[in-house]
Order: sequence, then structure tokens, then C-alpha cells
Amino acid sequence: MNLKQNILIQLKAMKTFLNCPSIIHDPPHVLEDIIHGHPMPPKHFRLDVDFDGIAWITFDSPKSSVNVWNEETLREFNHLLETIEHDTRVKALVLRSAKERIFIAGADIKAIRTMQHVRVNDLIWLGQAVFDRLARLKVPKIAAIHGACMGGGFEVTLACDWRIASDHDSTKIGLPETQLGILPAWGGSTRLSRIVGVSKALDLITTGKLRNATAAKRAGLVSHVVPAERLETLARRLAREKRPGMRFLFENVFSPVIGYLAKRKVLEKTRGLYPSVTKAVEVVTHAVHGEIEKGLLLERNAVAELIKSRDSARLIDLFFKREEANKRPAFSGTALTIHDATVIGAGVMGAGIAHILASRGIRVLMTDVTNDSLARGLERIHGLVSDATRRRLVTKVQARDTLDRISTTHVPVPLNRHHLVIEAATESMELKKKIFADLAARVSADTILATNTSALSVSDLAKTVPHPERVVGLHFFNPVHRMPLVEIITLPETSPDVLATVVSFVQKLGKTPVVVKDSPGFLVNRILVPYLMEAVRLHESGIPVKDIDEAMLEFGMPMGPMRLLDEIGLDVAAHVAKTLANAFPDRFPHTDALDKMVAAGQLGKKTGQGFYRYENRKEILATTHSDLPKHESIQTNLALLISQEAMRCLKEGIARNADDIDLAMVLGTGYPPFRGGPITFARDTGIIDY
Amino acid sequence: MKTPSLVIVAAARTPFSRAGTDLAHFDAVELGRHAVAALLTRTGIDPMLVDETILGCVGQPPEAMNIARVIALRAGLPESKPAMTVHRNCASGLEALTLAHAKMCAGQGEVFVVGGTESMSNMPFYFSRPAVEKFTAMNRARDFTGRAKAALHFRPSDFAPIVGLKLGLTDPVSSLNMGQTAELLSREFGITRDMQDAFAMRSHLCATRANHLLNQEIAPVFGHNLVATDNGIRADSSLEKLGKLKPLFDTVTGTVTAGNSSQITDGAVALLVATEEAAAAHNWKPLGRLVSYAATGCDPARMGLGPVRALDAALHRSGWKLDEADVFEINEAFAAQVLAVMKCLADPTCARRAGLEAPLGEIDPAKINACGGAIALGHPVGATGARLVQTALNQLHASDGKRAVISLCVGGGQGMAACLEAL
Repeated sequence: MNLKQNILIQLKAMKTFLNCPSIIHDPPHVLEDIIHGHPMPPKHFRLDVDFDGIAWITFDSPKSSVNVWNEETLREFNHLLETIEHDTRVKALVLRSAKERIFIAGADIKAIRTMQHVRVNDLIWLGQAVFDRLARLKVPKIAAIHGACMGGGFEVTLACDWRIASDHDSTKIGLPETQLGILPAWGGSTRLSRIVGVSKALDLITTGKLRNATAAKRAGLVSHVVPAERLETLARRLAREKRPGMRFLFENVFSPVIGYLAKRKVLEKTRGLYPSVTKAVEVVTHAVHGEIEKGLLLERNAVAELIKSRDSARLIDLFFKREEANKRPAFSGTALTIHDATVIGAGVMGAGIAHILASRGIRVLMTDVTNDSLARGLERIHGLVSDATRRRLVTKVQARDTLDRISTTHVPVPLNRHHLVIEAATESMELKKKIFADLAARVSADTILATNTSALSVSDLAKTVPHPERVVGLHFFNPVHRMPLVEIITLPETSPDVLATVVSFVQKLGKTPVVVKDSPGFLVNRILVPYLMEAVRLHESGIPVKDIDEAMLEFGMPMGPMRLLDEIGLDVAAHVAKTLANAFPDRFPHTDALDKMVAAGQLGKKTGQGFYRYENRKEILATTHSDLPKHESIQTNLALLISQEAMRCLKEGIARNADDIDLAMVLGTGYPPFRGGPITFARDTGIIDY
Repeated sequence: MKTPSLVIVAAARTPFSRAGTDLAHFDAVELGRHAVAALLTRTGIDPMLVDETILGCVGQPPEAMNIARVIALRAGLPESKPAMTVHRNCASGLEALTLAHAKMCAGQGEVFVVGGTESMSNMPFYFSRPAVEKFTAMNRARDFTGRAKAALHFRPSDFAPIVGLKLGLTDPVSSLNMGQTAELLSREFGITRDMQDAFAMRSHLCATRANHLLNQEIAPVFGHNLVATDNGIRADSSLEKLGKLKPLFDTVTGTVTAGNSSQITDGAVALLVATEEAAAAHNWKPLGRLVSYAATGCDPARMGLGPVRALDAALHRSGWKLDEADVFEINEAFAAQVLAVMKCLADPTCARRAGLEAPLGEIDPAKINACGGAIALGHPVGATGARLVQTALNQLHASDGKRAVISLCVGGGQGMAACLEAL
């Protein structure tokens, strides 16, 4: 069937079936071009039709390690489809990628970010039309997935009859669009639920999580998982088989109920702050029945609305900032690969760090002064590993390997093979100095000495050892396995090679490094303290705990400030606050409330009493009534403090640039990502003269 | 070419735990991995320097054939370095060491990780041959009816397991189990129950006294809880308590009890050994040197006498006299057996019966197993040989001694001995 006719029928169908006006008025002119085809030979694809009548479409963008969908690739792909439509030899179609680690990485978000809205809408039309053309091809269509298959890359496979995947580590499948404030709009929101059922589709789309091949098979996203070298053999076999018919999915009958429940859950979790997720739930549940065209229309309308919002722009910006931070090497210096590391201290942080290192393939020696503390640390690590195994984040073999990589000692052993020592002892300058002096005497002069501290001065520590150029701070956040940020604290004397090594080390751990200068509280804690202290002061002035927390939850923080203080422990918070207050006198909201509570033994969650009361580590305070206008003033007040302190950090050059500060706050404290970070927020809202 | 001399650079072992207790949930792989990893941690050496790993293990778990390779990989030794498992029954742990020496002499490597591992808690249970045939028939049946029919052939007796440990402790040639060979020695050499119990008590009390020395050898294991000491030692051992135990192997007139036999135990030992030149090149400070060693055969029914001729051969090769050694470690498989060996070394008639032309002499009893032996610490069969090396060198260093002689009797009628020198 001719594509133009197709689209006309689509439009007609939309008008008849739905009484829902399209906010995009006409099928845009881009579609005209589609119909006339693409005159040039394709640059990004290879098409080979073999003797068996299988058309192999190989996506292989020149001079790039990735394949992405943009106007050019979509058009070329469309042209190939047209060729295939007219080629009577073709009995089956296989879509594959020639890249080593990427199938198709999705839409070219970089291009979309700078595009005008009209053009974005055109692109959505184009993608929908091309993938629809693929879906309508009469021959069996097989997507042979090897490497990352995300967003638009997965949506194109949904238009195929078979999806088969390689068991390689690089094979990751998912629809992360909602994380960027949009939703799958090239048929993904419509087709997925018809293949795997509404609940699984909602799960994949609303969480945006990527799955490995095995998990993808379990969720029904792919039908077979085979070694990469066997994808071709399997594809040949499937090409001869009958196309799988549409399965009847019983649960889809209940899509309105499932959708209602899912939406309620989403709203509860996001407080409506992430419209893309709510929208996605709506689209998926409405698009599950009836014509595909109806779904495509819903997708288009939803995405057109979402992409115009500032939230989506901020989320996309942040995504790129993070990608860059995860990959960018340090400015200069040569990075050394770390294979073995020592972690000193088997407490919460030490054990957490040892665990994350070992899980990323680094052999770790964890030391502490007694066997009992080592035993407790190892028990904690065992807990983390078995938890990850239970949640199928790691296989049993990976879990075993992680544990095998950790060795322990409570007596001094030679450390000359270890190029990195991370000290994670109790936060006491005396103790840390003693450890560093001892280490300096035992390790070679080029061993990097890192301290995991949240408040102590790294330069004071560096003074105590010869060769201070190898001393850095590595501020991991608690819980280490969950928090994506690591602050790297550098000194003026830190050598470029050391910095480069540490940056690439943190990146290898799968964490995002942010390089900051040594200054009290470093970056994240420093910005957080005035906010937390002001919250305490507000509470002192008579505002209920719950109201303060509620206000900030509505702002988008994952946890209210009072609750956060309870989690951190009021003693720790008071200590950090004091350090900062000494460093920057007259700058922070002053309050004695914390000291009083600490003196009374109310240290927060760990003692069962802080601003909230806890029993068995669960909060037991009943929700009080809260009133909204008050919330707003609290919100403005507190958010302003965060942005102000962030701006000061920027001016003082604590971080290298505004992007780093925004990123650190989002990743380190859960600052609402759709607001882009405290500096972007200040800029966007004009709350501070910028 | 000068024959390379083997030096022992470092040693580490797990605690020795009675089977079914603290370490029961670790299999032989896990125990061995722990010992080898602890050795690498203690020495801080680059694993790339290790040319090969050789470990002894008597009851190799079916899921880890060539257990040494599995342990080496999991402990962090490089994939490119080979590993092999050796088996000379109770002397497997010592055989690993002597084989490393043989390989050094053959120019097949300079640095070795050797030792042994055994989890006697995890010895498998087997099915009888008829039961296996019935299981096979059931698996072969194509459909449910076939399987049901095949299942009907089972009888309750088919499900009675055959205890692997019991099989392992029985000599297939003489059909005597190890305890019965000890009974035979006690009858033939007139070793009374009282003598045996007194020796057993001594083992426990010596081990108690040497506690701090033994603990130095141990790298603690973190299981469900911290295991940092051997748990078979009874500080309160007394003749009275030992006297109450019933004979196990000859219930009517026997003398060998659970109290005066070695314990069934889990544990692993790892030693880092190297040629003297390699150790010097890497600036390692060796603990001791392997001077000579020998393995000899004897009557399987009297396997307990194995050490007699093995000691003779090893001493002959080293050129030492029996009384020149400062430390003796003779593995205590059974009190009766060690006492019989001592008698054969000293008494001319007995010596001839054990195959010696003339007695070697009397050993000062204070020099024998001064840190206790397998009666107190336990006898994880594959690992004990390596522990004797570790304990002997440890004692030499603690007491400023120079020479140590170690020996083990070996099930199946063998003996093995080695002479070590402190460095």
C-alpha cells in the first residue's frame, strides 16, 4: 500500500474513532518527501538481499560508534523499506547493527535539544510514519539486537515480528524517555503494551530502566537470547517460520483499572511533578486497544505538549551534563588503571566503598583495627550482595566474584602493590592524621592516598605526609551503592596524573565525579547546611516538622529537610554545621535547637527520636493537616537559600562551573532534576540577581 | 647444575574446626580460597610471580574437579598460571610441597603456592549401585507412566546413603578402616588404653599452652560469625574424661576411642614457596628450607607404622641424626600409632618388625608435637601435611631451634617425612 494513502486513512480513522482534536494540524510536509523517496544511496545503512530472500538491513553510521535516529537516518531507512516493498525476491527482513556495543541508541537527542518545536513535531511524524511502514511490511521482520537498544532504537524493533537479542553485556534494552521528561512517541507507548501487556509496559516506560538480555526475555521484550555470533543463524531460522500472531493478553482487558492504579501510585510518588510519567501512563492505557493510529495520535499529542515544557529541557540538559561528567577525562594528566585498592575502615562507609569497588572488578583489601569490626563490615557487604542477588541486579556468580575480591586484615600487611588507598575511618582529624602518617611510611611514594571525609580539611591532612601531591579527598555519599555522586576534593598541589587517575577510577565505578576545591563542607554539604539550619530555625519558630517537610517534598526534594536530618543523625549534622559556621561566621542561620536535641540524646533515626519518632526504624508520626499557602513561603525561603549558597560556591570557584554544581546537587541530594539544579533554578526563576 | 633448594616464604591457614561446626557451611573450595587469599594478602606479593599452584585434597568435591585450579582463580591468581591437585591421602598437603621442589629441580617454575584443603563436613553421601541403576531407568523413561513404573522398583534400602567419609577412611586392600589398623598396632606393640589416653591428654594440653603460637598461623574466617581459633582443643582434657569414652572400632576389648584418635575437621593451609634464588631476588625473607624428604611404603594393615621408614629415609638423605633435630611433628592420626612409631624407632625388636635394620634412637618426648597434634587440632586430611610444615617452622622460630623433622602415616600403607631447617 502506498504510504500517502496510509496516512490519509490514518487521519480519517483518527477523526472517526476519536473525538479528539489533533494539536498538530496537518501531516507535515516532511511526509511528502517520504513518498517521493530518497534519491541518494544510503550512507548509514547497508541493504543486502541474499539467495534465501532475506533482506539484511545493517545500520552502520559512518565515522561514529553509535547509531541514532534523526531526520537523515529515518529518511534513508524509509527509502530502504520502499525498495524492499518493491523487491519481490524479499521473503523476510532482518534489522541489525554493525556497531560493537550499540544497536540503536535512540533518537538523536542532541539534535532535538537545539531544534525548533515545529521541527521536533515533524520528526515525530516522520518516525511514526517510517516505523508504521515497517510494521505494515507483509514479510516477517526480525530485529537482531546486539548492544544498547534504547528509546527509538527499541521502538523500531516493536514494529518487527521478532525481537532476538545477544547475551552480551552491552545488550541493554529499554525506553528511558520519561527520564527526559518526554515519552516514547514513535509507537513505543502504543505497541509495547500489545506485546507484553499493560503492566509490564507501564513498568518499563514509567521507570525508564534498561534491562539486560536475560531480564528483557523474562519481561517478554525479546523472544530469544543467544550468543552474538548466533544471531544470524537464529534470524535465518525465524525468517522461514510463520509470523507470530498477536497474542490475546488477558490483563489488557483490565487496562483502565491497571492504569488507574498505576497513575495513583505515580502521583503518590512524584506528586505530579513529573508530568511525563503521568502522561505516559495515560497514553499507554488508552492506546492498548483499537487501531494503532489512535495510539500514535495520543503519543504525538502528549509528546508535543511535553517537549515544549521547561522541565523536559532541563532533564535533557542534565542528562547531557551527566553523560559528559561520566565520560570526560580530567583536563590533563595520564590516568593509571587501578586494579587493586586498600580501604581503611570497615564501618558503614568503608564497607560500602569496598563493596562497590569489588563489584566493579577491583581487588580490595579492607582493613580495620579489630577482627570484630571487620566481621561487621563483611556482614554488611554480604547483606548488600545478597540483596542485589535477590533483586536480580547481579547473578549468583557475580555476587560470589564480588565477595572473592575482598580480603581483610587487622594487622599491617605490605601494601606496595596497591596504587590507591582510600581511608574511610571515623571522622576524626587526629585519627586520620595517624593513619596517614602510618600509611606514608608503608606505601610507595606514588600511591594515591584518598580520604573519604564529608567535612574535614583535606589540606590539613595532606600536610602530614611527604608528597602531598598524591593526596585527594574522595567523598562518597551514603549509601554508597545507591548514591551516584562522588566529590573529588583536590588541593592546589594535587598532581594532574593523580587527578586524572582518580577521575577515571570514579567513572569506572559507574559513579559521576565532580571535582571540587578543598573548602569546608566541600560542595554538596556546604550548600545543604544553610538549608537544613534554616529548616531547623523555622521549626523552632513554631512551624510543624511535617509542614516544612511537606513543602520541600512539593518542591521536588526526595526527602524533607527534617527527615533528612533524622537520617543523617543530628550529632553528625550539628558537627558539620559547627565546622561550617566556624569557617564562614555570620553566614548561616543560627540555632541551638540541634545542640539541645543532641544533648538530650535525640540523635534521629538511630536513637528512635529526632524530629520524628521511630519505632523499629519506622517513622510513627501521624500526618498532620497542612495548609498550602504557608508551604509556598517555606518553599521559596528554603529553595532560595540553596540557590544562594550554590551561587557563592560558584563565585568562590569551589566547583569548576555551574554545570558541576547543578549536577552535584541533583545527584548528591536529589535536588529536583526537572528544575535543572540550584543555579539553573535561580536563573530560570530570577529569584537571585544573576 | 646445582639442585635448587626450596625455601618456605610464608604460610597462612584457616582455623581448624571440628566437622559440622563453625566452618561446616564452607566447602573445600571456599576454605582453600580463604587460605590462599590470606597468604597473598599477608605477603603482599604480586600474584603474577606465582608460577603454579599445587594443593592437596583427599575428598575432592565433585563440583570442583581439580580443586586447586578453582581455588587459584577464585583467590585472585592469574588465569595464565596453571594449578594442579595432588593426592597422597593424609600426606597430600606435604606432597604438594615436595612436588613443587621436584618441579623446581626440573626447571618448571620458581615460585609456587602449595598447601591443602579439606572440608570433611562436606564429604558426599552416595547411592548404592542398584539404586543408581533404578534412578537411571527412571530418567530414561519417556513418559509419566514409564517413570511411574520405574519408580515402583525402588525399595527403602535403596535410599540408605553410603557415607563417603566412611569409605574414605577404609583401606580397600586390607578392608580395615583406619581405626582398626590402629587397634592392630595397639595389640601388636602393647600400647595400652592408658598410654593412649595420656598421649591424647598431652596433645590437648600442649595445644592449649601453645595457643598464641597457633593463633599466629591463622587468618580468621568470617562466616556467620567470626572464626579466629581452632575449636577442637580441650583445655580441660583429663585422663578421667578420656577414660569414660567407649572404644569405637573394637567395642568389646578395643582401646582406640574418639578421644585418642585425630578429629574429623575442616581446614585449609597455604604456603608460599620459592627457590632460594627467587626468594633472594624478590627480597623475601624465608622462614625455612626443605632439606630432604621421602615417601615410603609399608603394610596397608599397619599403615600407622609408615613414618618409621620414611623418617629413616629422610634423615639419611639429610645426613642428620635423629637426636640432632629440635622439633618433631609426627601427625597424630591415632595415639596408638604415634606411640607405636616411637617404640619402633627406639626398640631393636620393634624396629626390625617395622622394616628397619637398626633402631634410630629415642626421641625426647618433649620435642614431639609440642604444640599439640591432630588429636587436639584435628586432621583435615588434605591439609595436615602443610600445617605440619607451618607449625614446625613456627616452633623453630619461637624457640630459636634450627632443625625440624615432620612425618605422617598415610592410609593405604605409606609414610612420608621431611627435614626442615629454619632460616
